[in-house]
Amino acid sequence: MSSESSLFSHRWLPALLLAPLMLLIVLFFYVPVFQAFYWSFFLEQPFGGGSEFVGLQNFQRVLSDPEFWGATGRTVIFMLTASSLAVVVPLMLAVAADRKIGMSYPARNILVWPKGIAGASIGVVFAFIFNPFVGLMAPLNVLFPGLWNPGIDGTDAFVTLVAAHVWSGIPFNFVILLAGLRSIPPTMYQAAAMDGAGPWRRIFDVQLPLIMPQLFLTFVLEFTESITSVFALIDTITGGGPGGSTTLLVYKIYVDGFRGFDLSGASTQTAILMVFVLLLAACQFFFLGRRINYER
Amino acid sequence: MTAIDLSIRAAAAEIELIGVTKSYDAKNTIIPPIDVTLRPGEFTVVLGPSGCGKSTLLQMIAGLERVSGGRIVIGGREVQDLEPKHRGCAMVFQNYALYPHMTVAENMAYSLKVAGVSKAARAERVAKVAKMLGLADFLERKPSQLSGGQRQRVAIGRAIIREPGVLLFDEPLSNLDAQLRHDMRVELAELHRRIGATSIFVTHDQVEAMTLADRILILNKGRIEQFDTPKVIYHNPASVFVAKFIGSPPMNILDVTGDGSVLRLADGQVVASYAGKGNFQLGIRPEDIAVNDGGSIKTEIRYREDLGSHEILETKIADQNLRIAMPFGVEIDTGQALSLSFPQARLHLFERETGRAISGAFGDAKSQSAAAKEYQ
Repeated sequence: MSSESSLFSHRWLPALLLAPLMLLIVLFFYVPVFQAFYWSFFLEQPFGGGSEFVGLQNFQRVLSDPEFWGATGRTVIFMLTASSLAVVVPLMLAVAADRKIGMSYPARNILVWPKGIAGASIGVVFAFIFNPFVGLMAPLNVLFPGLWNPGIDGTDAFVTLVAAHVWSGIPFNFVILLAGLRSIPPTMYQAAAMDGAGPWRRIFDVQLPLIMPQLFLTFVLEFTESITSVFALIDTITGGGPGGSTTLLVYKIYVDGFRGFDLSGASTQTAILMVFVLLLAACQFFFLGRRINYER
Repeated sequence: MTAIDLSIRAAAAEIELIGVTKSYDAKNTIIPPIDVTLRPGEFTVVLGPSGCGKSTLLQMIAGLERVSGGRIVIGGREVQDLEPKHRGCAMVFQNYALYPHMTVAENMAYSLKVAGVSKAARAERVAKVAKMLGLADFLERKPSQLSGGQRQRVAIGRAIIREPGVLLFDEPLSNLDAQLRHDMRVELAELHRRIGATSIFVTHDQVEAMTLADRILILNKGRIEQFDTPKVIYHNPASVFVAKFIGSPPMNILDVTGDGSVLRLADGQVVASYAGKGNFQLGIRPEDIAVNDGGSIKTEIRYREDLGSHEILETKIADQNLRIAMPFGVEIDTGQALSLSFPQARLHLFERETGRAISGAFGDAKSQSAAAKEYQ
């Protein structure tokens, strides 16, 4: 420790180096968070000009609104399906890639590139891919008219959204999970093979338990990300429709706040969403995190 | 010892390798065709330097590595195309390869669980093996909470719990410290007596080989240099390679030339009488050299190592290194002149071209066949 303190003999130097980042975090994270919580207790004028303290009235209004519960329900369904698939699909890819890894190094590199694509771009691409007239499903629609139309059918729209989200989640989760699999010593598989376990059995008895830390990490990140980052996809693919069937909470907040100018209602829902995400992460750490208690 | 528990006892299987070979491509042959038969219940140590193919050989027998050719017969069954689980082998790995997420009991019972043995029967077998290996108090611990020696025992327990006909060991003691290695060696020998499985033990440690083996198979670049009892291998090494590999310090090997009556060093000194002509290599163990006993070979001490029980003198004759092992307490100083003699009965002669031993070169009774009889 003494060497570190001698490196940074100036007390204010680390603080100075941290300052720009801290400033950004405070300006664009903590201030808005605080603002949202603050506004959720006030009735805010849409075009500025004073606000009025209303106590818990905003919460009463939001919580008694069936549309809020509808959006929350859709959010939970999306969270469960999309984030599970966004972990399970890369997991299957990683297990497969771990078997035969001739090109794994360049493959890992190439597979992570889509991580750099903005959500909105993915949305635009998927809107085309799942377009009922020119997209992938168009030939099926010719055979079975009306089978697929996310513009009319809410379920189709939801599926499109899930597919886009899973696709965007594959690269990062694949890399994390494959790294976990690669770190398992090969003698572990040999030992399991000697113990009589076949390839499938080895996946469930050896591989999955040993990549629990990586699985946990991807699940925690996916759960929170599926709630917040889906906005760009909804905005570009479905616009919340048809008939509100893809209006998840995060999109509803945007619509209420910036289209309906209900700033107080949007802030209240934001506060609720944040508490929900925090609770979710805490629960995951509490119930799952403590079960990963072995050392290699 | 009272009432030895013989309930964990295997039906030992004979292992036959017939023309077994391994190559990764046309150029890189790891193991040229090998033929060898291991008797049921025999403890064979496969000994060789790293990269000699000994681990590959073991993995081919286990089924973790495919053979490129030849047949492996275990207990009368051809197994070279079978999955590991159908071969009736169990294996102890160098780094133990315990499952870190399972307890000691779960680690040991895993093979039984896979085989569909009931929970109660599993617990019973685990208890029996744990008692035998002194692990009864650690059954609920995870491997990370165990010492190296305990982990080693768990690995052994996991291997023997199914009572396999063949036990394979892949350098299992190399991760332990010297004291523990000795203790585990004793335990392994004891265990082998009790279980009686045909055992193959791969190591590069000649002490492990000499102490554990019924027979030692010495591999060099995938070829069998010698396959015999420790005694025969020590006293009648079949080649220069074996002679240099066994013994600590190893046997001295000197280039000599025979003129039809005597063997001479490069500087003309006569070291032994021999009727053959040509270039040879003469071997003599450091402890067999007689010092200041009226011998005719002159040299001087360059360096001495005091090992407590004995000391090693480093000398040179005819520009070739020569080590001499002496009982402790002999008054000789560095730089002092020595006269040596090589007792004829203790000499080993090898062809210089091939390195193979010329058996009975010095006409004594310790010929290969005589020593081999001691074992059978």
